[in-house]
Amino acid sequence: MLSLSADMTNTDVNLQMINGDSSATAGGLEYAHELMVFAESLARRDETALTTARDALASRAGSAVLVDAAAVAGNFQRMVRIADAAGIPLDERNMIATIDIRQQLGLERFGSAANSRSTTLTDRIKAVFMTPLMKFVMRRMDRKANTGNP
Amino acid sequence: MPAFSYEHSPYPVRQDLQQVYRDYWRMLSRPGNWWSGAERVAIANEVRQATRCEYCSHRKQALSPYNCPGQHTHAGELDELTVDAVHRIITDQARITQAWVDALEQAGMPPEKYVELLGIAVTVFSIDEFNRGLGLTPEPLPQAQSGEPDHYRPAQAVKGTGFVPMLPTDGATGKEADLWGQHSANVLRALSLVPDAVRGWFMVSAGQYLDMAGMMKFSGDHGRAINRMQMELVAGRVSAINECFY
Repeated sequence: MLSLSADMTNTDVNLQMINGDSSATAGGLEYAHELMVFAESLARRDETALTTARDALASRAGSAVLVDAAAVAGNFQRMVRIADAAGIPLDERNMIATIDIRQQLGLERFGSAANSRSTTLTDRIKAVFMTPLMKFVMRRMDRKANTGNP
Repeated sequence: MPAFSYEHSPYPVRQDLQQVYRDYWRMLSRPGNWWSGAERVAIANEVRQATRCEYCSHRKQALSPYNCPGQHTHAGELDELTVDAVHRIITDQARITQAWVDALEQAGMPPEKYVELLGIAVTVFSIDEFNRGLGLTPEPLPQAQSGEPDHYRPAQAVKGTGFVPMLPTDGATGKEADLWGQHSANVLRALSLVPDAVRGWFMVSAGQYLDMAGMMKFSGDHGRAINRMQMELVAGRVSAINECFY
């Protein structure tokens, strides 16, 4: 989703910030470093680091940003548990659309990858054709959501 | 003072977010489909025990979470099986397996009860985590309302995706027609064996993150202080720390 929204807004984003790479936050995303550190200290339940990260985010970006970041973090503390505790596999369309991103971020290392099937050669071939098509469809959906026109 | 008023918060909290939390607390206090109101509130309370359970910390480090004897720190309101289910969902969800969910059923917790418990545990946890993010203590739990669960199970739920039965992609029909439109995703279907569990987390998600329409919008204004990319950075980092493949 980060990749998709960056693509839609022509923003230069290094996805390695998802894996906690501080140097990756140097791109065009405002408060990226503070948001990344806040999210990881909350998810790691490191209360000392969380206090520091909260103060840094609030003083740099303001209270409203902190509140909305805490809300999104809380939301995904829930979503990961729904996905893993219900054992859902990756949706078929995402198996193909996210091949590159899964590889870049090394997501196959996570144990819960076992709930999804492995990537096949056919998936890789399909991805060559399907990924641009899916981006086109997403762009249309985004335009429709923003303007009401497809 | 109403619940979730955040009067003592150093950071002003959006009114719409306060309202969805209040609405969820009301929903939590009522009898569900498979648990009574008192049991639902007890499950919520157990979420808070799980986050400070020493046995859970120890088990999280073990090579196998299924061969690690010990006792949970618990509130004493629920049986051992239920306590373990709540604690595992909160502290070690990435190692939950089909075999464990099947064993729960054999031990007396059918998938319907597991799914409702899962919905309560994770939604309460997400609200508590929001408070913790702001350095605030968890909101006091609501007073349970009396009444019995109605044992409602949607007839169209089937096995085949994940560890528990779910509505098929085209199964949001009849009483479940409000759950999703023509298209769905596995994460939307995951708790659909207990449709109210889906409704509960959708409601909270719309306040904490985005509603369904907002999720289809990847640019522009979402009425939040952070843009979609910033939201997805937080979402992605939290998911990575939790080792979530999905």
